[in-house]
Amino acid sequence: MELETARLCTMCAEVTGMSGAGIMLMSGDIARGSLCSTNSVSALVEELQFSLGEGPCVDAYKDDRAVLEPDLADPHTGRWLAFTGPAVAAGVRAIFGFPLQVGAVRLGALNLYRDSPGSLTDEQHADALVAADIAAQAILVLQAKAPPGMLAKELEAVADFRYVVHQASGMVAAQLDISVVQALIRLKSHAFGNDLSLDAVAKDVVSRQLRFDATTDGSDSRG
Amino acid sequence: MPREALLAKTLVELADSLVADFDVVELLTHLVDRCVEILDVSAAGLMLVAPAGDLRLMASSSEAMRLLELFELQAQQGPCLDCFRTGQPVVNSDLTARDGPWPRFSAQAVEAGFHSVHALPMRLRGTVIGALNLFDFEAGRMREDDVEAAQALADVGTIGILTHRAALEARVVNEQLNQALNSRIAIEQAKGMVAERTKHDMQSSFSTLRDYARSHNLRLVDVADDIINGRLDVPALDRPPGADSA
Repeated sequence: MELETARLCTMCAEVTGMSGAGIMLMSGDIARGSLCSTNSVSALVEELQFSLGEGPCVDAYKDDRAVLEPDLADPHTGRWLAFTGPAVAAGVRAIFGFPLQVGAVRLGALNLYRDSPGSLTDEQHADALVAADIAAQAILVLQAKAPPGMLAKELEAVADFRYVVHQASGMVAAQLDISVVQALIRLKSHAFGNDLSLDAVAKDVVSRQLRFDATTDGSDSRG
Repeated sequence: MPREALLAKTLVELADSLVADFDVVELLTHLVDRCVEILDVSAAGLMLVAPAGDLRLMASSSEAMRLLELFELQAQQGPCLDCFRTGQPVVNSDLTARDGPWPRFSAQAVEAGFHSVHALPMRLRGTVIGALNLFDFEAGRMREDDVEAAQALADVGTIGILTHRAALEARVVNEQLNQALNSRIAIEQAKGMVAERTKHDMQSSFSTLRDYARSHNLRLVDVADDIINGRLDVPALDRPPGADSA
C-alpha cells in the first residue's frame, strides 16, 4: 500500500476545517515522536508536548478520549500550565486532541488547532474521529510490513523522533553519572529555565557546546 | 416474542457486543444459545478452522459428552467439514439413510438421539472460516426462511471472529511499533553515552556499539540497554570477545 504519510496531517486538518493538525506517536504514556504537522504552529504544538510531556495529545492518549479546549487563551480548567503560554503566543486559540486507536490498541494522538476560539461542531467532531481512525489504520498498515524490532521505513523517514534529544540524554547521563531518565529531566529543566527549546539544548550538548558537569550549582556551562 | 423480532433483537445485541476487548468465546457461546432458541433446534455449535487447517469446536450450546464427541468427529467427516470445504449450506441431511456420506458420524448422531443435522458456512467474501452446526432430536426439515435465519446468525459469528482477529493483529503490530520505537531510543541514548566517554562522534560511537554487538553475537538493542543501565562499561566495548571477564 502506497501511502504518503506526510499527507495524513493535511487530510486531518482539511476534513475538519482546522488551521492545522499534527500526529504524535506515543507509547507507555510518553510522546515518542511527531509523524507529521501541517505548519510551523502545529510543529510547535507537537514540540511542546514532546518536551513538556503535557498537552491535548498526551491527555487524549492517556485518558483514551477526545480532549477539547475551545478557548485556550481563557480555559475553563488550569490544565497544561507550561504548554498553554507558548501555544497561545504562537496563535493557538482552540485545540483538540483525539486518540489514535484501533480497537483497544492505542498508537498516539491527533491534535487539531484553530487560530480562533470556539467549539467543534458535531460534524467536525465526527469528522475528526474518522480522520483519527484513518490515521491509526494507516500507521498500523505501514508498520505491519516492518521486520520484527524495526520501525517501518516509511515511518522512520517522515517521523521526527528527536533522536538528538536521546543522544544528548546519553551524554548528560555520562557527564553526571545519572540515569538517562534523570538526564532527560535535566535537559528539559534547562530548556524550560532558559526559555529554549529542548531540541536546541540537545543540539548544543551533542555539538559539545554545553556540558552539565562543569558546575555544581545547576547553572550549566557553555564550553 | 415472534421469531423475526427475536432474530432482530439478537443481531443487534451481538453487534453491540463487538466493542473493544470483547471476549470472543463469550460472544460465540451467546450466539449458539440464541440459535437453539430462535431456530428451535436441540443443540448448536460453532466450529472454526484452526491455523493447521483442521476444524475445532469454539462454542457449544451444551456440554453433553455425546454432543461434544459429534463435533470432534467432524474434523474427519460430517456436515460441518463438507460445509466448510464447499462454502455451501448442508441442510436436511437424512441421518438414517443407508449409504449416507458420513457413515461413522451418522451412526453416532443417531445413537445420541439426533434425527436431523444442518451446517451453515461462516464466510466472508472468499474466505470460509468455519461452520455453524445445528442438531435436532426431531426429524423436521429446515424451510427456506429457517436457513436464511440460521445463515444470518452464522454471519454475525463470522463478523465477531474477524473483528476479534483484526484487534489481535493490531495489538501485535502495535507492540512491534512500541518495541521498535523504544529500541531506537535506547540505541541513541547509548550512542550519547559512548560519545561522551570516548570523545568520539555519534557515527563512530554507533560503529563501536554495532561492532561489539556483532563480535559478541548480541542484539544491538541489548548492548544499548546494558550500556544505559550500567551493566556494560564503555571501555569494555573495545575489548575483543572472550576478553570481557578475568
